[in-house]
Amino acid sequence: MFSQLILNSIIAGAIYTLVALGFNLIYGATKFFNLTHGVLAAVGGYSVFFFSKTLGWNIYFAVVLGIVFAGLIGYGLDKFVYLPLRRKKASNMILLVASLGAMTAIQAIIAILFTSQFRTLPLNTGTQRIYEIFGGVITETQLVILVVGIIIMATLALILKYSMFGKAIKAISDDEEVARIVGINTDKIIGYVFFIGSAIAGLAGILIGFDIGIQPTMGLGLLLKGVIASIIGGIGNVYGGVIGAFLLGFVENFGIWKISGEWKDAIAFVLLIIFLIFRPRGIMNKQ
Amino acid sequence: MEYLIHLAILFAIYAILGISLNLVVGYTGLLSITQAAFYGIGAYTTALLLTQVGVNFFLSIILGIIIAAIISFFIGLVLNKFSGDYYALGSFGFNVIVFSILLNWRGLTRGALGIAGIPKPEIFGIHFSSNFTFLIIALLSLGIVYIVARFIVHSSFGRVLKAIREDEKAIQVFGYNTLYYKLAIFVISAGMAAISGSLFASYITYVDPSTFTLIESVFILAVIILGGLANLEGSILGALFLVLLPEILRFVGLPFDTAAQMRQIIYGVIIILLMLYRPKGLLGEYKL
Amino acid sequence: MTIIETKKLTKKFDGVKAVNNLSLQIEEGKITGIIGPNGSGKTTLINLLTGVIPIESGTVIIEGTEKLVKIKPSQISFYGITRTFQDIRLFEQMTVLDNILVVLTERHVLKALFERHKNYHLKHAGEVLRKVDLWDKRNQFAAELSYGQRKLLEIGRALAMKAKIYFFDEPFAGLFPEMVKIISTIMNELKRENKSIILIEHNIGLIRQLSDYVFVMDEGEILAEGISTKVLEKKEVIGAYLGD
Repeated sequence: MFSQLILNSIIAGAIYTLVALGFNLIYGATKFFNLTHGVLAAVGGYSVFFFSKTLGWNIYFAVVLGIVFAGLIGYGLDKFVYLPLRRKKASNMILLVASLGAMTAIQAIIAILFTSQFRTLPLNTGTQRIYEIFGGVITETQLVILVVGIIIMATLALILKYSMFGKAIKAISDDEEVARIVGINTDKIIGYVFFIGSAIAGLAGILIGFDIGIQPTMGLGLLLKGVIASIIGGIGNVYGGVIGAFLLGFVENFGIWKISGEWKDAIAFVLLIIFLIFRPRGIMNKQ
Repeated sequence: MEYLIHLAILFAIYAILGISLNLVVGYTGLLSITQAAFYGIGAYTTALLLTQVGVNFFLSIILGIIIAAIISFFIGLVLNKFSGDYYALGSFGFNVIVFSILLNWRGLTRGALGIAGIPKPEIFGIHFSSNFTFLIIALLSLGIVYIVARFIVHSSFGRVLKAIREDEKAIQVFGYNTLYYKLAIFVISAGMAAISGSLFASYITYVDPSTFTLIESVFILAVIILGGLANLEGSILGALFLVLLPEILRFVGLPFDTAAQMRQIIYGVIIILLMLYRPKGLLGEYKL
Repeated sequence: MTIIETKKLTKKFDGVKAVNNLSLQIEEGKITGIIGPNGSGKTTLINLLTGVIPIESGTVIIEGTEKLVKIKPSQISFYGITRTFQDIRLFEQMTVLDNILVVLTERHVLKALFERHKNYHLKHAGEVLRKVDLWDKRNQFAAELSYGQRKLLEIGRALAMKAKIYFFDEPFAGLFPEMVKIISTIMNELKRENKSIILIEHNIGLIRQLSDYVFVMDEGEILAEGISTKVLEKKEVIGAYLGD
């Protein structure tokens, strides 16, 4: 039982990490809470559904397309909505409200196109392998989630630290104005950040689709967890998001050990509010 | 005709919600995304009191206001520690928590099953059983809320709210304890939203948690942004639009089951367009 | 008599001492100037004294009786203190009239709820607005005013408080001579009424003209103090400005 809880926590942490990574990346570069982020997971999941089930294409191909498509939607939103707003020097609140609008619209579009029914994404193998680790059970898909999560985390960390692109992002994070003055094309880089962040979110949605299934409203729940993980870990801090995600995974799963699982969301939010009150900068950020 | 009355009642309910939220968002500048929570508290209070205890409808409205006021007092205390977009997130969180409670505290609320059979109002032997008579109650409630809101807005208190919105630190320097003002308007707003909830419960005769989600809070926000922030008449206009929109869609021939989703899409797009091109909304005097 | 005294007042930002162990005394009924190069801590000092940023260590003593280690911004008006802001913090999307009325009306939450502004409020607001020549613009939004008019409105708002102690943070910056004259007149009038004024200014000529006493700050500390004419001649002061 205990080890199952730990496994569940780790898996949850991995998923939340994927969502938090993109969210934090975007926040770091633009300093606004992009509430559309969660629904992009649904976009990813549903586009794979569309390509593989409706069009019947190869599942791996569909997954790649799904990730790219989610990234494109995020990129498009930046180009047509957030960038124009930033150009007008819109406040963070305006951006937040605009992202709420986008989230609402996209979620409903998905619901119209695919109905609100719960769907699952098809896997290649007929039955899944199940692994036993220290007395707990984990499916193959969940193992994939863990592995993918770690790979993406590591890749992103490396890119951010060592590549020119990563350095440009850091410069923009520190001070966009200055970054522009030294010659960085901030609009273009931010566009890429949106693409990458949204693509990762799409990937998260796809993986969940394989593990549990997809629903038009799945984005909202993921967004909320991603936001919580980011804030408690340290908003804008990519590593912080990871720590926050796993902390959240653990608190949620152990929190519901003795009480019913339906209270997960409420527990997550109580955790958020505690952090907002006592340590709004999060774990990793300095006060 | 019956149908028009139905629309009018819904309009009154949303107009009250809009006015209540505008006081907090438009006048005080607090981006609160949790109004559905107080809407739900009012609805469930009336639902429970009328079905379980047999309390009079009008009394249940008052009790709904009191309960929403108490809960909002504590939520407001916590939210006061945040500003700007963090305030929005925190309020989001509270909406989720309240929704979770409505959904999961099955012993009290019957969870997803909801509460059915909520009776229509009656007082002194008068039964408000027809929709027309209910409309009268709804419009009267709207009238009262509107008058109270106007009173607040035109008072010295109202002027301070606007100053808080413009620059909270600056107005503090001139001797104002802004935390009290923010808390006060938040509680008043919650109480008003609860009235809408009570009306909703008795009119539809059935409540369940799915009405009181974050998306609903976003709708109410859309109503007031569209109508115009810091303009009470604007909120009424926005509510009118919210209620008429599905009808227009249906008129245009959209099938019923997608009408709700279409409405959501239109709302989402409207919010984006407003932020891009007219953050003031139709009649508003203030932009975010 | 000493109206405001600070003892070892300190405030650090990210390890940098913006105000460093500052002890000074301000005389009642005089215009006290505070000058110094950018970054010397003048505005931070005022912000500390008016509760806009929290005091890290040190004491502030008001009128010899109130000893404070913590100042909340909403308290200062009770001590008769008011201020203007260097970066003009008006209530932009409110009318000029409302900007003044809001500092005149009832402070207590419940009382404010049941109060509509009375005639005496309007009369008082009228007096203030006429003094800063903004009565005609009373129904315009503060955001619509010209720069000079906005500066005047800031001052008007402070005047409306009928305070004992006024902190003016660079009130003359960027103003045409006519407006400088209006504000100088207002300050001298306040002085005649035995009010105390603390004035941060970069314009040395104005400081010389208006202030009785001057503090020169540099890097969070007092470099020199004294009667304006004497202090402004000192070598260290000139050096601080030229960046030795």
